[in-house]
Amino acid sequence: MTINETKNGNELIISPEGRLDTTTAPELEEKVKGSIDGVTDLVFDLAGLEYISSAGLRVLLSTQKIMEKQGKMKFINVSDIIMEIFDVTGFSEILTIE
Amino acid sequence: MENEKILIKLDGRVDSNNAAETEQYITSQITGEGPIEIDASGLEYISSAGLRVLLHIKKDHPDLVIRGVSSEVYEIFEMTGFTQIINVEKAYKVISIEGCEPIAQGANGILYRIDQDNLVKVYKNANALEEIRNEREVAKLALVLGIPTAISYDVVRVGDSYGSVFELLNAKSLSRIMVSEPEKVDWCVDEFVKMLRKIHGTEVPAGKLPDMKETALKWADFLKDHLPAEAYDRLKKLIENIPVSNHMIHGDYHTNNLEFQDGEVLLIDMDTLAVGDPIFELASMFNAYVGFGEMDEGVTKDFLGIERSAAIDFWHKTLAKYLETDNEAKIREVEDKARIIGYVRLIRRSIRRKGLESEKGRAEIEHWKSELLDLLDKADSLTFSANELETDALTENLEYVQEFVKDYLDKIGCPEKTKNQVDIAVEEIFVNIAHYAYKTGIGKAVVRVEITDEPATVTITFMDHGVEYNPLERDDPDITLSAEERDIGGLGIFMTKNLMDDVTYEYNEGKNILKLKKSL
Repeated sequence: MTINETKNGNELIISPEGRLDTTTAPELEEKVKGSIDGVTDLVFDLAGLEYISSAGLRVLLSTQKIMEKQGKMKFINVSDIIMEIFDVTGFSEILTIE
Repeated sequence: MENEKILIKLDGRVDSNNAAETEQYITSQITGEGPIEIDASGLEYISSAGLRVLLHIKKDHPDLVIRGVSSEVYEIFEMTGFTQIINVEKAYKVISIEGCEPIAQGANGILYRIDQDNLVKVYKNANALEEIRNEREVAKLALVLGIPTAISYDVVRVGDSYGSVFELLNAKSLSRIMVSEPEKVDWCVDEFVKMLRKIHGTEVPAGKLPDMKETALKWADFLKDHLPAEAYDRLKKLIENIPVSNHMIHGDYHTNNLEFQDGEVLLIDMDTLAVGDPIFELASMFNAYVGFGEMDEGVTKDFLGIERSAAIDFWHKTLAKYLETDNEAKIREVEDKARIIGYVRLIRRSIRRKGLESEKGRAEIEHWKSELLDLLDKADSLTFSANELETDALTENLEYVQEFVKDYLDKIGCPEKTKNQVDIAVEEIFVNIAHYAYKTGIGKAVVRVEITDEPATVTITFMDHGVEYNPLERDDPDITLSAEERDIGGLGIFMTKNLMDDVTYEYNEGKNILKLKKSL
């Protein structure tokens, strides 16, 4: 997996590409932790995300919990395959998906 | 002194004119209790009266051997059925191998090229006639069962040894081809595996060939005093659990024993032919290409003629091709199983050759032993199957497990969406095992893929020997809660249940068995 970040003032765009699974989720968690301070608008661009398992969902959920305290978080470019997983797990109800 | 061999020479003709005299002469020569050998190299003719003399002698001395019989006289013995009653050996042509090129070292002899068209295998054992007869029988059997091989057409004397002669016109071993034409390595791998499959696909009528499993159990017994009791018990049980098979294995399969002749590949050196599970074959192949030279690189080069790195590469390619996979975990699984039997054999071999008496030998034995003990520590079984992957239950093997299942789904043209759902379920279950099954040390997990046609369904079974645990009993997370209220765990199993059509768990014979089913 590769993770690109674009920071623009208080806005941060994180674009994980490839597979977000047990092996790669800790990487994303690390990245998020390192750059989330002071961010008020967090955008996950999932255009390049091919796969997500529960390990990846956990990172998204814990990030959501942090962002609820300091600002907003949304998801863009969510593919059908990822959307299905968000639906099955009820994540589509608690995340902001555009 | 009493049991020393008594050698009696017979010359010329033995017929009714001199039969009585000959019998008297022979009897007078028998002065001790030892076995009697008649040197008949000077015998020109024997009539029925002469044969009766020999019968009398045989009656009192059942171990009578008649050697050096000319072809003409041998024909008389054969026609009258005497070859069935008395041990009669033909006179052998004497050949020299001075200046001949040794082309392969077999398990029980060395192969030399004597001229453009002929090879001779010179046996190590001085009394090799039984071996030669056996090898010829075995080669005939293999040929009849469809394995292309060369059968010896003559037995000769080479110094104090026996040799068997084969016709092999302009043949070149695959090992030599790899040396002289390295660009043909992949072709060699293909031919090598093609022949291997042919051998392993050949069923052998009962009782015709030795059972490799019995042999391997004897090897294990040999090591009993050299291994910790627990490791020995484990090894023994692993071998005992290998199913009996009536499929052929060569027993000494390497590229020195495949000869390319006139567009055709022939298998030679057939004396080790046996029946058994292919893991036994792979064990001896591992030894030839890797294990044998682990402590001394020169060994591989001397044996195969190719560099050690090329030998390791060849082995790896062969195994991948044989298993029809490029999944490294699958290749490692089978290699590790082969290594267990391979090291047992190497340790035994070295001990029998007085390895314990030299520093080099001891170092070698220690090395193989420590590798063996490491492998035994984790091993659950020595068999393998194409639709199963057995791997260490570690998250770093996740990608291999997923790839293994995905390869099956790719083959049957499974839709992307289903593939993704299965992919996730496989991750969740395997990671669960990796995290929780084994509290201490590293244990194994087995993943089996089965695809059925009507209705089109994939079933994926996970098995481990870890602590008994039914993940399906876990409460589902409440997915109606807000992000803040939601617990971070429990999602994996919940997703698995929702993405699959059926998920079942059972604990049976010390194994956690979890099955996923998905319609295709």
